[in-house]
Amino acid sequence: MMYQPKYYKSIRLSVIIWMTVILIGAFSFGGLWLNIPNVPMLEHTARNLYFHVPMWFTMMTLTALSAIHAFQCLRTKSELSDIRSSAAALIAIVFGLLGLATGSMWARFTWYEGTNLWWNFDPKQSMAAVQVCIYGAYFALRSAIDDPHQRARIAAVYNLFAFVTVPFLLYVLPRQLESLHPGAEGNPAFSDITDPMMRIVFYPAVLGFIGIGWILYTQRVRLSRVSLTLKKMQ
Amino acid sequence: MNPSDKPPHLIGGAWAVLRKDLKLELRNKSIFGTLIIFVLSTLLLVLFAMGQNDLNPKAEAGLLWIIILFTASLGLGRTFLSEQERGTVIFLKLHTQALMVYLGKLLFSFLTILCANSISSVVFLILVGVDVTQPSLFILVIFLGTLGLAGATTLLAAVISKTARGGSLLPVLLFPLLVPLLLTAVEATTLCFVDQPMIGDPWNTAIEPLVTMISFSGVVIAASILLFDYVWDQ
Repeated sequence: MMYQPKYYKSIRLSVIIWMTVILIGAFSFGGLWLNIPNVPMLEHTARNLYFHVPMWFTMMTLTALSAIHAFQCLRTKSELSDIRSSAAALIAIVFGLLGLATGSMWARFTWYEGTNLWWNFDPKQSMAAVQVCIYGAYFALRSAIDDPHQRARIAAVYNLFAFVTVPFLLYVLPRQLESLHPGAEGNPAFSDITDPMMRIVFYPAVLGFIGIGWILYTQRVRLSRVSLTLKKMQ
Repeated sequence: MNPSDKPPHLIGGAWAVLRKDLKLELRNKSIFGTLIIFVLSTLLLVLFAMGQNDLNPKAEAGLLWIIILFTASLGLGRTFLSEQERGTVIFLKLHTQALMVYLGKLLFSFLTILCANSISSVVFLILVGVDVTQPSLFILVIFLGTLGLAGATTLLAAVISKTARGGSLLPVLLFPLLVPLLLTAVEATTLCFVDQPMIGDPWNTAIEPLVTMISFSGVVIAASILLFDYVWDQ
């Protein structure tokens, strides 16, 4: 029984085309079309906005997805929910690491220019690091249990348990550590001085990155399903 | 015994589990002896590593809580593993309900690390030579921190009892989840160590971390009660 939804291939193709258009838009220099203003110090690094921020959004989406399927797994004991939950967690790690990399590289040459800092204890950065650690622990736990049913149940319990402690990070970290991130006090996420051209690329980029996350996630789910079916046939 | 011997009340059952664990502990002192030696040797290591240097309050509070965290992860990993090794899980399952076991084990964990933490903090204060300007606040912070620690660890101790590797996995699973508790506990403990004239009323400043610690404990214990069934029952 192959798992192949009706429109899977066409949705996947449209996400890929969508992202190609966004890449062209993100890197279009010169001319009037989608050119961004040359702010001193930021200069063209501002284009990082199109990549770094959507990566976070994708990670958050996958985190929520992983928790929802963990809940489903406990409720219905279905193998598919376990596969979905772990696949979402894996892709969330990938996007988390990518977000950390793009963020700290960008900050090194803008916020911390001249200080040689790669890592500063920014709340959002710390939170992402903790989240990556949690999912790392999640996979360490999975690898330590042999029985598939037991593994599914125990991993789902840990997933949900970790999920309820994350909101505390959202509340605690910003009070303890200072943030340079937009969205903190007196620093709105998007302001009037943000060039409207950036929004034209940014919002579609968010959609596109969530789409890429969806492609990778469904790919993992389908792969695990096929290998599970093969194992059962043996 | 026959099934009608099941303790009729939740409290009675939990109390029976706690009494059983306390009796066993008093008989061979396995956990407590290990913890005391661990705490003392860790403190000595910390002292030797620091030499005669004066630390600032924040660093002192951080060190104290790191020691407490490691003590807890060492001492509490065995709460459910020992049942597994002795083969007594089946007896507990026959005679009690899951919630009774959880509450009994939670109380036992809480009492164990409360003892270990009070000893380690007293020895720490004497050896490092810290002036506690707010003794009552300090006691309250240690108490609440222990509650959160016990709440988060008890469920995870049950989780690791189902794995192949057992105890070594507990710190990996536990530490990322404890970041919010550790940060608030260190913040509140720092207030107990700083000299009074430097800040206003420390209780006023401490109210926020204290409330956060209480709500953290409440959330992890509530989540554990909901999730424990899935770990305990096959």
